[in-house]
Amino acid sequence: MRLTTGIKAGAALAATALLAAGCSAGSGDAGGTGSGDSSDAAGPVELTFWTWAPNIEKVVDLWNADNPDIQVVVNKQDGGDPAVTKLLTAIEAGSGAPDIMQAEYQKIPQLVSNDAVADISGLLSDDTAGHFADGVWNAVTLGSDAVYAVPQDSGPMQFYYRADIFEKYGLDVPTTWDEYAEVARELHEQDPDKYLGTFSANDAGWFVGLTQQAGASWYGIDGDSWSVNIDSPEVQKVAEYWGGLVEDGVIDNKPMYTPEWNQGLNDGSQVGWLSAIWAPGVLSGNAPDTAGKWKMAPMPQWDVDAPATGAWGGSATAVTSQSEHPEQAARFIEWMNTDPEAVQALVDESGLYPADIPGSEDALSDPPAFFSNQKDFYEIAARTAQTTQPFTYGPNINVAYSAYNDEFAKATEARSADAFVAAVEAMQQVTVDDLVNSGFSVAE
Amino acid sequence: MTEPITQDAPDRRAAAARRPASAHVLELPPSTEARRRGGRLLGRHAAPWAFLAPAIVLFALFLAAPIGYSVYLSFRTEKVSGLGLGPGSRQEVWNGVANYVSAVADAEFLASVGRVALYGLLVVPVMLGSALLFALLLDARRTRARRFGRIAIFLPYAVPAVISSLLWGFLYLPGVSPFYWVFERLGWSVPSLFSSHLVMFAVANIAIWGGIGFNMVVIYTSLRSIPSELYEAAELDGASQVGIAWRIKIPIVLPSIIMTFVFSMIATLQVFAEPTTLRPLSNSISTTWTPLMKVYRDAFTRGDLYSAAATSVIIAVATFVLSFGFLRLVQSRAFGQEER
Amino acid sequence: MTTVTAARDAVVPRAADRPARERPSVAATAILLVGAAYCLLPVVWVVLAASKSSAELFSTLTFVPSLHLFDNIAELSTYRQGLFWRWMLNTGLYAGVGAALSAVVSAMAGYALAKYSFRGKASVFNVLLAGVLVPGVILAIPQYLLLAQVGLTNTYWSVLLPSVISPYGIYLARIYAAAAIPDEIVEAARTDGAGELRTFVQVAMPMMTPGLVTIFLFQFVAIWNNFMLPYIMLGDDRLFPLTVGLSGLLNQGASQPAMYTLVVTGALLSIVPLVALFLLLQRFWQVDLAAGAVKA
Repeated sequence: MRLTTGIKAGAALAATALLAAGCSAGSGDAGGTGSGDSSDAAGPVELTFWTWAPNIEKVVDLWNADNPDIQVVVNKQDGGDPAVTKLLTAIEAGSGAPDIMQAEYQKIPQLVSNDAVADISGLLSDDTAGHFADGVWNAVTLGSDAVYAVPQDSGPMQFYYRADIFEKYGLDVPTTWDEYAEVARELHEQDPDKYLGTFSANDAGWFVGLTQQAGASWYGIDGDSWSVNIDSPEVQKVAEYWGGLVEDGVIDNKPMYTPEWNQGLNDGSQVGWLSAIWAPGVLSGNAPDTAGKWKMAPMPQWDVDAPATGAWGGSATAVTSQSEHPEQAARFIEWMNTDPEAVQALVDESGLYPADIPGSEDALSDPPAFFSNQKDFYEIAARTAQTTQPFTYGPNINVAYSAYNDEFAKATEARSADAFVAAVEAMQQVTVDDLVNSGFSVAE
Repeated sequence: MTEPITQDAPDRRAAAARRPASAHVLELPPSTEARRRGGRLLGRHAAPWAFLAPAIVLFALFLAAPIGYSVYLSFRTEKVSGLGLGPGSRQEVWNGVANYVSAVADAEFLASVGRVALYGLLVVPVMLGSALLFALLLDARRTRARRFGRIAIFLPYAVPAVISSLLWGFLYLPGVSPFYWVFERLGWSVPSLFSSHLVMFAVANIAIWGGIGFNMVVIYTSLRSIPSELYEAAELDGASQVGIAWRIKIPIVLPSIIMTFVFSMIATLQVFAEPTTLRPLSNSISTTWTPLMKVYRDAFTRGDLYSAAATSVIIAVATFVLSFGFLRLVQSRAFGQEER
Repeated sequence: MTTVTAARDAVVPRAADRPARERPSVAATAILLVGAAYCLLPVVWVVLAASKSSAELFSTLTFVPSLHLFDNIAELSTYRQGLFWRWMLNTGLYAGVGAALSAVVSAMAGYALAKYSFRGKASVFNVLLAGVLVPGVILAIPQYLLLAQVGLTNTYWSVLLPSVISPYGIYLARIYAAAAIPDEIVEAARTDGAGELRTFVQVAMPMMTPGLVTIFLFQFVAIWNNFMLPYIMLGDDRLFPLTVGLSGLLNQGASQPAMYTLVVTGALLSIVPLVALFLLLQRFWQVDLAAGAVKA
């Protein structure tokens, strides 16, 4: 970002005036901004870490206790999008970014494309890649030789349901999407206040997971070009299926994560939830009184002979391109995401489902407290996690996501299957147009 | 100086004081020290500029420079090459007026403008009408509980829009709202305020709720400065309170109402926080529901500062034209009272 | 006339202030009370909601109070070692210091515009006032990019400094200065040998004080309620004001439950200081946007 000299001079002048007035003292409190002054090898290094994972500071404390020379300071951020926006603004401005950044997998191409994260391939141990599943590792390398982040947690999807209500109405747990539709219909007929789930126009990541399970991949890299496949037959199939359920009124059409949805979890009008492995944390926070009433099962399937699932959520830890201490930062994130003690702490303190395979086997033995009635919780989880389908995110997934919000808001409000399919087509159009406008090469 | 129409006591005093100064000079012994210090530090001609200096410097740094920078950005854009991965694959380049052309041709932007126009037609009259009504009630001596009423109605001003929208959101959602609980008990079927044809009212209500108090205080302040003699005569003639309000009070406070109108209009064009906070609760508010939401989406969600800057400039110019145009229309001299 | 209302109230007894002889108007009082009820409703709701545990918040009728207010406050206080209270202090700092500086800067500018005639006065005033037309949402990113050039982002200064300039404040200060400071007094002070600065500090400022308190209060509320500027400027949550901190509690991302109970309790606590200011400084909460400004 280049500023005109006049503005620059004015700003510099103002800064000088401020500093002269003794103002610099106030910023001492502000924590490093990535441009810390401790680059001389002797002094301890302070690294700032933007993250929104709950209680992650307790994991960081373990590191800080053992590493007096590399101190990590946690700066809590609003989840997901706002943190990325802030990071990109800081990158644009040339200063103000943290050293270390939590980044959801879908944001990594966007961050790489904006030159916001550093390639740390040369700074990690050689066996780091071996800690993670191929699909997950691919998400942080984008299929190249570079490594842009170290995976932290993943979010394989499962089906969560109220076992007590299923029993009350004599419903069977659906194993296919046809059965899911049947159960949804039957439940809603028996009690019109109850729904087996809701189609949320607010959660693009959730819809991505559903289409991922069906075999879709929204983007692809085709030599030197991107391809966009949001309107692929797989996505259309999923959209049409859900549009049909919403049109028939057997599935709710209100967004998730609203107070009303919370209420539904509490009073049992939301009987099921297609969610991911972190669901117990959300359920116990939103509806603590329903403990012991929920159960988890694998996702309903399109093809029972080829079980599959998608992923919703999950994130990696990256070193930003503004960090002056990438080496130390890389060492920290490698420790946090692969060291057995750290991975155990990620499970215990932050309730994450670690991406690290060796560590998670030990860390995940007992079911989460909220699901203490389901002894095989993590066995099912591990089994389903292995069936996570490959998926490629693109550099303007942010545009695709906001198009999802707008287009599916209209479609769910219209309650028509045709509108759902139209929404998918509109998303494809908006996403491709944006890529082309920005100058990306896009394969037809 | 235009003679103010609000003729309260101190103003008359001030008016009287505007006679030639020499007639009223207070006889104080000259202070040589003062002359030495103050007199030399600040000459008569430099003085106003010195007093204005902090405001001008801050304005230049934190308003003018960012605005200038936005204008600059609005003529630029970013071009990516190839896959756009790897450093240096993005470049900022000149884009002429292309950002403006695509902004004014954008269907979402035009729709948001239409929505805000409708929203303004709803919010401004209701908000200012209620503010005027409550101000008149507070000023009427037969009203009881005036102190309580004044504080209660002013209270929403203390609640940030982000918070008030969250509170109202709870009250709107049929699942958690106590109102809908009551409606259900009464057997009424009341449609959700978040359904697409009612959501405008849901947003407008929050703005009205938050805005009545401030505008009421402005109008009430004006009402309080009307000397009571002006309407005591009318009272003796048997005029009703409503008549007095209509024929005497409202004309006198009209300048205040005009100013609240202008400021409310500006706030309406800038509506952002309320719909943004409500958006995740419903399917009826798009990410480009108002012009500023579109700016926010372009800049924050899409990372396209350049289109956002162009849209911002259009909004600012439109606001300028509307508000100053309106003031000119009512032949106000609000912004030039002391110019000659 | 705002600035001097307090004094005027003492001087001119008004009909409305005298003990009423007529019987109270039921209709007028009823309408006022309906308005008051409408305005208080969400506030009452937040008080009641803040008294509920998180399970109760979504399982009992919202207008039924419960007994968990102090539990909720205690829980909020332990959230990340009392970070909430730090946000409260930060907000007080941003609003208090920012509004005080803003009142002084506005007073100086308003005085200059009201009491001097000089070339370019009209242009200066119009340009300053045009600042009203540009919403904060638009300014936040360029402000960030400019402050980043001098490394001031993510500091207290990044929120404080842009909050000092207030076009509304200058507009009001000009009205106050024009109304409250008779020209002859300024002239007298000058004839008396006082310099321009001394005249301002010792003669004009005291006469403008009630108006400046009003400017302070309104700018205080504006900064207290500001969201976009600190949201963009700050990365370190120890520097957050309440609005940004509470919004963070609400937007935890999909994999975390929103902390509604804490947010609702925090919302309640965050408006308490402003309500106290309303009650304590009642006579200063009045604004005359048009005093002496508009010709009928």
